[in-house]
Amino acid sequence: MESSSRSRSHAGSIEENTMAIIDAAGAKDTQDTNDDRMAFLEAVRASSIVPETGTAPTNKMFEAIFQILKVGKSLELIMASYQLLNELDKCFPRAYLSNVDKSNSSCTALLEPVVVKEAWSPFSLGSDATCGERQTANKNSGGPLDSSGFHLLIQNIVKVTDEMNSQALNIKSLGNMFLFQYLVNVLEGDFLPRNSMYKETMNWTLLRESLINMLLGSRKISYKGFIKDCLSLISRLCHVYAGFSHDPSCEENSAGKQHEKCDTAVAIAFLEVKNCTCISVQKLLVLIMELDMSKKKADMQGHTTRADGVRTPLVEIIIDELTYNEDILSPFLQVFNEPKWKLEIALQYFWKYISKPSVRTRRSNGPTEDATFGGLLKYFSNNTNTKNVIRKIGTEVAQLLLAHAFQAYLSLSSEQQSVKGISNSKEDASISSLEICKNMISAFNSFRGKDGHVEILPLGKEALFTAATILSTK
Amino acid sequence: MIDMDGPLDFESEDPLLSSSTPKKKRRKVIGLDDLLTDYYKEKSRLVERESKRAKASKCYNSDEDDDVSKETAFFETIDECQQQMKEISSEDEISYWGMQVFGNQKTPQPVTFPELRSCEILNSFMNNELNSSVELCAEKGEAFLEGLIVNGWLSKLVFMCGHVEKSIAMWTFNLMLYSSKEELRTSACDFWCSILSKTEVDLPFAKIDWFPSYSDLKRALEIYGFLPNFSSNRELLNTDSDTGGPPQNIRAWMKFMAICCQVRSKHSIFSTSEAEELIEVVICLFLDRQLQGLSMLFYECMLSVISFFTEKEWHYSCEKVAKSLACRVPQDLNCLRIVECISGVNTRSKCLRSAVAFQILVNCFDNKVTDAEEILKFLISINVKDRSCDLFKMYIYLVLTENWLYSNPLLEDKPVINEMWSLYLRNCSCQITNTDLRTYASKVRNKASYLLQGTVKG
Repeated sequence: MESSSRSRSHAGSIEENTMAIIDAAGAKDTQDTNDDRMAFLEAVRASSIVPETGTAPTNKMFEAIFQILKVGKSLELIMASYQLLNELDKCFPRAYLSNVDKSNSSCTALLEPVVVKEAWSPFSLGSDATCGERQTANKNSGGPLDSSGFHLLIQNIVKVTDEMNSQALNIKSLGNMFLFQYLVNVLEGDFLPRNSMYKETMNWTLLRESLINMLLGSRKISYKGFIKDCLSLISRLCHVYAGFSHDPSCEENSAGKQHEKCDTAVAIAFLEVKNCTCISVQKLLVLIMELDMSKKKADMQGHTTRADGVRTPLVEIIIDELTYNEDILSPFLQVFNEPKWKLEIALQYFWKYISKPSVRTRRSNGPTEDATFGGLLKYFSNNTNTKNVIRKIGTEVAQLLLAHAFQAYLSLSSEQQSVKGISNSKEDASISSLEICKNMISAFNSFRGKDGHVEILPLGKEALFTAATILSTK
Repeated sequence: MIDMDGPLDFESEDPLLSSSTPKKKRRKVIGLDDLLTDYYKEKSRLVERESKRAKASKCYNSDEDDDVSKETAFFETIDECQQQMKEISSEDEISYWGMQVFGNQKTPQPVTFPELRSCEILNSFMNNELNSSVELCAEKGEAFLEGLIVNGWLSKLVFMCGHVEKSIAMWTFNLMLYSSKEELRTSACDFWCSILSKTEVDLPFAKIDWFPSYSDLKRALEIYGFLPNFSSNRELLNTDSDTGGPPQNIRAWMKFMAICCQVRSKHSIFSTSEAEELIEVVICLFLDRQLQGLSMLFYECMLSVISFFTEKEWHYSCEKVAKSLACRVPQDLNCLRIVECISGVNTRSKCLRSAVAFQILVNCFDNKVTDAEEILKFLISINVKDRSCDLFKMYIYLVLTENWLYSNPLLEDKPVINEMWSLYLRNCSCQITNTDLRTYASKVRNKASYLLQGTVKG
């Protein structure tokens, strides 16, 4: 008791001293105040991270660091605050699994989820009613974000990527991308331990209280609009990619010397930050899909209540979006690299357009060999089936989906190879990868039709090459 | 006890210092900025008044000669003041960290890969009957391979077939380090990272016929324009000649280097002394302001490189790196930046942070003092009240000492050191008054009193 209260007062005095470093700031933005902010960040690092047993910053200090990132006055401040926040989250996680019985060294040691409830969070996702009052205050301060603030951030980044080609690069937009990456890291750090615990205990409350679940459940955002913006962010970032295929720093230089040093720094960093942002969007989508999967399980076991609401599974939304907005299909598949979910998306896309009966067998959770990639390829071995699918979704889309599914399949099977050959429960081990390669080739052959008048896409050619080469070396 | 001519023991009982919740409001001294803003405020008010008067004078053309003479006198005084301000401010130039780490890029010799034509995976496929649909031919070989690498097929092929031909390895390595096309260099980098990091119980899973060496990486750095002895070209920093920094390939370079360090148990690519040099390179990159936006990348690479060493090697290498860095870096804000960019997130990082700070400190004293107590004794002996005392240097010493001691068990193990440290802090915080107008006076004072409050509590 005594020691804990003493440590609290200790933390309190640290807070007071450290906060004093930036107290003087606020009024005007001079180099001095920026220096003070840097000194503050360095002081937090020195008291929380550098010592062997550092003390966690208080909530007020966390908030000040977050505000520095959010306001993003200079690149130096953005980088330092972003790095510090991520490191602090690693040192002092909000949710983690702790080993209950440390003497038990077997790998089945009891794990217990620990959720630090009073820990500071960059999100304020309480019930919508209480947040509404705070909302006005949040808008201008550096306080935590609510779900609409998060959505707004994504929209802002989308807007910036729109203007990107007109060289509207600036520190603020770079800062927004870092802010987004940090927030996704927070969501992930909160969700992963909860979800792995859920898989063992089936305790839905753990996931119900996860940040990502509360964020999506909030009535302040339209869930579908939110996802749409995420998808358009992915495809926009992919387009920017194409536009920047030459060195931006060189273009910048030839464009003129009016660019200040800082702009050069932004331009140099841009491609890297953009790539990381892409990875973060993907991370966010995967989190939601994992959440969907656990929620489905909880639904079936009757653990969810009406209060949990109904949410269309993300995979279905993505498929709809890819169907109606064909422009984003190719960039999405190119960027989205997580093999498990990529395969799932491609397969579900196909099954949606494949004759109804097989869908029903899949849904009725019988032996569902059809739903696997191997099953799909078998389906395509029949020429009439192939023609049906092509009539419905077009040959280009079919080729794209099939090639990407094949690639995801290869990633998964090589992953499993390295984990001592444990076979995926879903992809039946009875179909060897050699057989998959053979069936891939015959599926593409049937795409080409009898007279071979259908053009094979470059990606399709590459898939064929890969399949044939694997066959020839085995 | 050591003899110290600092404050006496009872001073530590000073209620101001040891009160449990010290309220240390930072009372800012009137700085130049304030004076300047005041001056400009005054000036703008004057301009406003003048314009009003000008309007008014259109109506009443009355006796303004008197006013005009007063006005000119006033402006003269202001000009004088301004002149003085300029003189003062040129004395106290605020410095920033930042060095030019990259100079002019050299053009890499264009490399063609005739061997690609004879590369096995392409050739064997050309005889395949499927080639009727793929239509691959020798001329299109490289373009086709580019597609394979950008779309990620190449690494899947390696996973399934377990072999990387020499020509493919060299070609992809070259793309990664020298291609100006973003998608080619990043996907080539992804390719190398994935084939190197793929494990099968600590055995390489694929036969890779060719490995780059440290000298290949070093050559690339030279071509990027890396200036290994940056301390000699500081003056270049302020020139307008825009050298544009390194090419974007530096990102791939970094990631590749990091992955090579991570997979040491499977593929031994660097020697320990080479890895030591790499630490220095990464730390140097932190000094370039143009590269600030990439600092997360550098940060992760640094963690990879310092994890390269075995426990035994690290002890020696850490000190070697610290000594070498200390000789190279100028003793200004850049040396603080170097220390602060070492994050201290894990034991090795803390160790390096402390060692680098210590070695720079030793270097500041021209290697005359190399012992912890001696250094502190010297610091305590500096009279900060003396007008000739260089407070900027004091500030550097203070931050370096803090970093040296705080990521180090020395403070806990040796009470003597702890006492000397607090005494030094008291000197800095109490002997500099808050009316001291020297630049860095307030910085030293504030920093020391902040640290002092930490030690009183501890």
